[in-house]
Amino acid sequence: MVNKSPGVKALPLAEGYLLVDSKKCQGCLSCMMVCSMVHEGSICLSLSRIQVMQNILKKWPEDIKIVQCRQCANPLCVKACPTGALYVDTANGNIRVIDEAKCNGCKKCITACPFLPQRIVWNPETGKALKCDLCLNTPYWKEKGGPSGKQACVEICPQQVIKFTRKAPKQQGDGGYDLELSEEIVK
Amino acid sequence: MTAGYTGKILRINLTHGSKSIIDTEQYEEFGGGHGIGSAIFWDLCQDKAISGYDPRNVITIMPGPNAGTCIPGGNRMELCGVGTFAYPVEWFTRSNIGGFFSSMLKFAGWDGIVIEGKASKPVWINIIDDKVIIEDATGLWGQLVNTAQAEIWRRVTGRDSFGEWLPLGDKQTTQGPSILCIGPGGENLSRLGTIQSGIGVSSSEGGLGGVWGSKNLKAISVLGTGSIKIADPVALIATRNWANALIGQKPAPVPNGRQVSCAGCFWKCKSRTQSGAYQDGMCLRGFYLTDPLPDGRTASDIYSLYGFNMNELAGVSLTDGVYVDKLYKMGVLGPGKPIDSSPVPFEKFGSAEYAESLCKAMANREGIGADLTEGLMRASAKWGRLEQDLASGLLHKAHWGYSWHWSLPNVEQPFSSMVSEREIVEHIFTSPRNGSILGSPEFMKMPAEKLVDMLSKKVIPYTNDPFMFDYNWQEPDGSNMKQALETGIYSEHKAKFVAWHRHYSRFYIQSVLYCDYICPCWFDPQAENWSGLTPEFETRFFNAVTGKNLSFAEGIEKGRKIWNTDRAIWVLQGRHRNMENLAPFMFTPAGSSVKTIDFRPPPAPGQIESPADDNPEGPPPLLPGAAPQAVYKNGQWASVAQANMYLDKAGVEQWKTHYYKFEGWDVETGWPTRNTLEELGLRKVADTLQKAGKLGKAK
Repeated sequence: MVNKSPGVKALPLAEGYLLVDSKKCQGCLSCMMVCSMVHEGSICLSLSRIQVMQNILKKWPEDIKIVQCRQCANPLCVKACPTGALYVDTANGNIRVIDEAKCNGCKKCITACPFLPQRIVWNPETGKALKCDLCLNTPYWKEKGGPSGKQACVEICPQQVIKFTRKAPKQQGDGGYDLELSEEIVK
Repeated sequence: MTAGYTGKILRINLTHGSKSIIDTEQYEEFGGGHGIGSAIFWDLCQDKAISGYDPRNVITIMPGPNAGTCIPGGNRMELCGVGTFAYPVEWFTRSNIGGFFSSMLKFAGWDGIVIEGKASKPVWINIIDDKVIIEDATGLWGQLVNTAQAEIWRRVTGRDSFGEWLPLGDKQTTQGPSILCIGPGGENLSRLGTIQSGIGVSSSEGGLGGVWGSKNLKAISVLGTGSIKIADPVALIATRNWANALIGQKPAPVPNGRQVSCAGCFWKCKSRTQSGAYQDGMCLRGFYLTDPLPDGRTASDIYSLYGFNMNELAGVSLTDGVYVDKLYKMGVLGPGKPIDSSPVPFEKFGSAEYAESLCKAMANREGIGADLTEGLMRASAKWGRLEQDLASGLLHKAHWGYSWHWSLPNVEQPFSSMVSEREIVEHIFTSPRNGSILGSPEFMKMPAEKLVDMLSKKVIPYTNDPFMFDYNWQEPDGSNMKQALETGIYSEHKAKFVAWHRHYSRFYIQSVLYCDYICPCWFDPQAENWSGLTPEFETRFFNAVTGKNLSFAEGIEKGRKIWNTDRAIWVLQGRHRNMENLAPFMFTPAGSSVKTIDFRPPPAPGQIESPADDNPEGPPPLLPGAAPQAVYKNGQWASVAQANMYLDKAGVEQWKTHYYKFEGWDVETGWPTRNTLEELGLRKVADTLQKAGKLGKAK
C-alpha cells in the first residue's frame, strides 16, 4: 500500500503506528523513562521519542497531553533530510527511522515536522536527531522491537493507554492518533 | 560517579545568597534521602538544639537513587531539618513527599538541596539544570499554593501550560517545572505549615512549611533536561515487569477524570477530575472525602491551598477528630465562652465556610486562629486543659503532640513513635496484617501460625523469631501480663521488631525512598503462601539502578547507622529516657479508641456509618473493623481481635529497657554508647556526644 496524496511523491505507508489515549493517561512518565532507557541506556525525558506533557495544576482533561511520532503517510521529515539519514525502512514495515551515522545534525527534519511539539527529538550531546522507531533498535532491551515486535512504551504503560496498530490512523487532526482505545480500533 | 546519582548536591545559603556544591560521594554510604539529609545536618548545623525557626536551621530536600526511574513507588523525597510542630521539643524531624519534584531535580543534575540561613526578603529559588537563581518572590508571597505555582510556571516557561518544546540553551524540554511551595500557613510561621507540590501532594508533618516561612522561602522550582545513568537497564525493566505482574493494579475508570500517580509508579492511588475537587488527593484526604460533614471534600482542598497540615486539622474539622467540636459542644469553646471562638463560625462546623474562615484566622493569627495555628497541644496548654484532656483522651495525641494516624492494637506504631520524634505514619507498618493494602481481606483469613512463620522469614537479619509478631497483652483484668512480658507486646521480641522496623524504614523507605504504600511488601495475593515481594523487591531495584550488590541485611545495617545519627541529634536536643512516654489515655481503655482500618468497601461520600458517640467528653468513638492479630496462647497461635487493647505502664517501661539494650544504648538514659556508635563508623558522633556530656554509659 502506498500513500496516494495528490502532488506528493508516493511513499509506502508505514505498517505500524502508536495510538494513545491522553484522557486516561495517569501521567507517570514511565513511557518516557523507558523510551530513553532502552534506546540510550540512561533515563532522560528530553530524549524520549514519546512525550507526555503535564501540568498538575490543571483540571482533567486539560492537564495531560501525549504526543508521539505519527509515522506520517506523507512524512515531511523524510523529504527534508538532505543526507538520506531519515528514511523509510522498507525492510522493517516501512517505518520512518533515522540512521544516526548519516545524520549531519542540520535539524531540517525537526523544522519540517508540521506538528507541535515536533516529533523529532534533538540530542544536544550527540548533535543528532532522534525519532520513534517503534523500538526497532533498542540496545538496552532484550525484547524484539519494531513493527513486528514489541514497543517499550506500550509494554510499560500501567494504564494501557499506548497501543500498537498496523492500521493507518486518520491523518487529519489528532483524533486518529489520540482517542479512546478499544480492541477494535487497535486491530 | 555511581549510577543512580548525579554526583552533586546543591547548597544554598539564603542569608548570603551564595550557592555551592557538595559532592554526593562523601555521603553516598547513607543511600540518599533521609540518610544523606541527617548526615549533612549533623555536619552543617553546629548548634542542634536551636528552634526550627532559627536562621541557623539547616534543611535538606533529598531524593534517593530511585528518583527519576520507573521504580514503582520510587520517586519520593525526604525533607529534614529542625521542625516546629513536635511538643514539647521542636525535634529534628522528617517528612516525605511524592509527585514529580524528586525526579525533576535529578534530571536537573542534583541529588538534593541544602538550605541554610534566612533571606532578607521573600524569595523563591529557580533551578533550571545547573543554573540556580534566587529570585524575588514579590507577587508570590501571600498567594495560595495553586496561584503561586501557576505564576512560577509562567515565569519559568514564559507560558501558561504546554504544547511546544521549550528551548533551554542548546537543550530543550516539553515539560513544565516541578515546584515545592508554601501557602499562607507556612508564610505566617504556622506550626501546621505544609510544603505543597501541585495541590494535593504535600509534605505535611513536622511543620517544615513554617521553617520555610521563617527563611522567607516561598518556593523552589526545578526544570531539568539531563540524564540519569542506569547501571543495568535490562535488569531494571525486568524487575519492573516482575513487580507489575505480581502487585500491579488494573486501570479503573474515574468518572469525568483520570487516575494519576507519582512519577515512575505503576500504581494509581490518586485521581484528577473535571471539577478540580480533591485534585491528586490521597491518604488522609480520604477521611475528608468520606466524612459525613457536608463539605469534607471542599474543606480538604481549602486546607491544601492555604498550606495547612490536614492531619492536625482533623482535630479541628473532622467528625472523628472532634477535639474543638467537643469543646464547643461542652460549652467550653464558643462565642463569649472561656475559649472565645471568634472569628471562626463554629456553628457552621464542617462547612466550607468554616474551613475557609479557619484557614484565614490561622494564617492571620486572628482570634482563636492564633491558638490553633500553634497546634492543638500548645493551644490546649494555653487554654489550661492539656493535662486533663490528655488523661481523658479527649485530646487524642499519644506522642510528641502528633495527631493519631495508626496505633493500637498495632503496638509497634506507638512504640516506634515514642522512640522517634513524630508519629511515624508508615502505613504498611500499622501492623503486618492490618497494614497491607494488597488484598487484605484474604490475609484476614490467613491462619495465625502461617502468618507469623511467613513474616518471621522476612525480617532479615532477625529471622525465625515468630514472637516478634505476637500481640499478647495484659487484658483488662491483668490476667495475661506474664505472657505479654515474655513473648507479647512488652517482650524483647517486640523490641527487636521495632528496632528492625526503625532500621528498615530509615534506609529503604526514607533514604532509598520506596513508597510506604508498597514497601515492605509483606503479602502477594498471587503468590504461593501469599508471601510478598520483600525482601527481594528492595535490593533488586536498588542494585539494578546503582550497579551495587547490596544485600538486604546490609541495607538494614545502613538504616541502623542513620537511626543512630538521628538519635544522637535528638540527644543533643535534650532527649532522655524519661521523656519517652505515651499520653496517659494510652494506659486506660481510652487507649484503644481509634479508627482502625475497615476492610469493607468504602461508603459513598456522606454515607459512612458513624458509631454512636456515647461519651461526648471522652475520646472519639471506635469504628468497627479492627483486624485480628496473631496471639500465642497455650502453645499455639490464634487470630484474636484486639480492638480494646491498651497499655500497662510497667510493661512499657520493661519494653523500653529491652529496646534500648537491643539498640546498644544506655538503658538508664536512652543515649547511644561509644561502642555502638563506633561499630557503625560514627566515631565523630560519639566524640560530640561525649563533649556534650551525653554519651551513654557502657554496661
